[in-house]
Amino acid sequence: MNAVETFQLAKYYGNGRIKALEDFSLMVPQGMIFSLLGPNGAGKTTLIKLLLGICFPTRGEAKILGKDIQDYTVHKNIGYLPENHRFPDFLTAQQILHSYGKLGGVSSAELRHKIPNLLALVRLKEWGNVKIRKYSKGMLQRLGIAQALINAPDLLFLDEPTDGIDPVGRREVRDILLELRNQGRTIFLNSHMLSEVERVSDEIAILKNGELIERGNVQQFISIEHTYQIRVKDGRSALPAILKKLEIEGNVKNGSYVVSVTDEQQLNHLVDKIREQKMTIQAIIPYKISLEDFFIQVLGDSQ
Amino acid sequence: MTMISKIYALIQITFRESFAKKTFMAFFGISTLICLLFMFALNLDIVDGVKSSISLFGKETGELIDIEEVIFKIESAVAVLLFSGGLFMSLFATSGLIPSLMRQGNVDLLISKPLGRFHILLGRYLGAVAIVAFNVFYLVIFSWLILSFKTGFWHGGFLLAGIMIIITFAILYALMTLLGVVTRSGAFSLMITYLILFFSPLLLQRDQIYALLTGRIWGVILDGLYHFLPKTSELGNITRLLVQGEPVSSWTALWTSLIFGIIMLTTSTYIFSRKNF
Repeated sequence: MNAVETFQLAKYYGNGRIKALEDFSLMVPQGMIFSLLGPNGAGKTTLIKLLLGICFPTRGEAKILGKDIQDYTVHKNIGYLPENHRFPDFLTAQQILHSYGKLGGVSSAELRHKIPNLLALVRLKEWGNVKIRKYSKGMLQRLGIAQALINAPDLLFLDEPTDGIDPVGRREVRDILLELRNQGRTIFLNSHMLSEVERVSDEIAILKNGELIERGNVQQFISIEHTYQIRVKDGRSALPAILKKLEIEGNVKNGSYVVSVTDEQQLNHLVDKIREQKMTIQAIIPYKISLEDFFIQVLGDSQ
Repeated sequence: MTMISKIYALIQITFRESFAKKTFMAFFGISTLICLLFMFALNLDIVDGVKSSISLFGKETGELIDIEEVIFKIESAVAVLLFSGGLFMSLFATSGLIPSLMRQGNVDLLISKPLGRFHILLGRYLGAVAIVAFNVFYLVIFSWLILSFKTGFWHGGFLLAGIMIIITFAILYALMTLLGVVTRSGAFSLMITYLILFFSPLLLQRDQIYALLTGRIWGVILDGLYHFLPKTSELGNITRLLVQGEPVSSWTALWTSLIFGIIMLTTSTYIFSRKNF
């Protein structure tokens, strides 16, 4: 059973004038972190809203955890953190988790031990009895994550989860997501923080103007075949001559040489030549571009 | 976990939201003041269990009055205060509840929970009715207990009046719910609801304005509006009769107004269930 399945899903607003999503078909297996990327207005939030029944598709079908999206009972196993969520500011974090936990179908007995644990997880333990109108944006966001986890969901939809969170908090969110993934839960992530997405995601999909333009494994996208980053300790000046002799393309990037070889044999040949020159090789790393570079490249190609 | 406990959680959120607003605190404060007034400032000097002399803030009326009549008058005054001022304040204080429910970031979170849109709206509606019922019954029950203990005259009609006030609010709030769902504007919903609340006495007297109308069609429209809209003026009259222990000759105004409320609530649910957020 897939966590998410969509078939030719489409959404138009304004009596069909504004296209938000067009014939979108996707399958997301369970137990992975899947990220949606795209520029503003690409249809990322619309897709999540369609899947959760917050808005209705113009045409097409979709299932979450094997059930039709019209069936709200499946929401019992789902957690959701909307972008720009608004919790009632007259409540404390404990009251919010209790109320939303109840709405999520969690019993009072379960909530009694879950709430302190979740508050500790998102570093709000000391703030549990403070009205949230006194919270900073990062604290509200962390509370939102705790709220999304209150029913121990199998499938988690997070819309910009690290928005407003400081670097330490972002790292903690990342660790939480990876831990959840390791527990077999599925995370559907929507984020502009490409460096975060790159670090946690197993697969990504890129949307543009409501259409799916790329989908696949993150590592495959950012790795460039037969391209390596070589760092040598001394005699760096001799390296260009070796590359020229072997007819290998190479250029300096951040103090290392990025070389493109035809195959692994040529790479080994290059290593032999470097060693012959008594140079110390510090590292040979398969070269990767950043997800941001890949994202911009894909968007550029699609124009 | 039953659906009832989820709706109860929604009612609880609405209840807390309402109490976080100053208007309900003011309502609660006024009710407490009235109760304290009855408790400490009103002195009912019972003679032979039937007659009494009355003093308020120590100033006596100087003549013997029928105690039953006095109780009816005091209870009627409280009922009138609740039916006019209480309803006015309650509608004002709850006008923002539906638009705030439908705010982005709130409604989407609620829809993502395992409960239907019907339940979400119903929970909000019942939450608003519950907070008003709490305030109304706080005043009605406590003033009734104080007056009854002081006089030994236990008259249940006043409690029924409390129920009538809640029903009237529930009917008018159903209209406000529909307007809130359609327009997402608390101010607009409140304006239209006040208009209907104050239009009711005019419609009741429509026989007297037929002659002023330019065409028969206007008469038909007025008749139609009278039959369709909630008859708050007549509901007020029923409340008065209940307080005074007089028989109510016709309950038509109540059940036709209830039908209006049900239609408004059903339509609200239908629209809310099909809305894109």
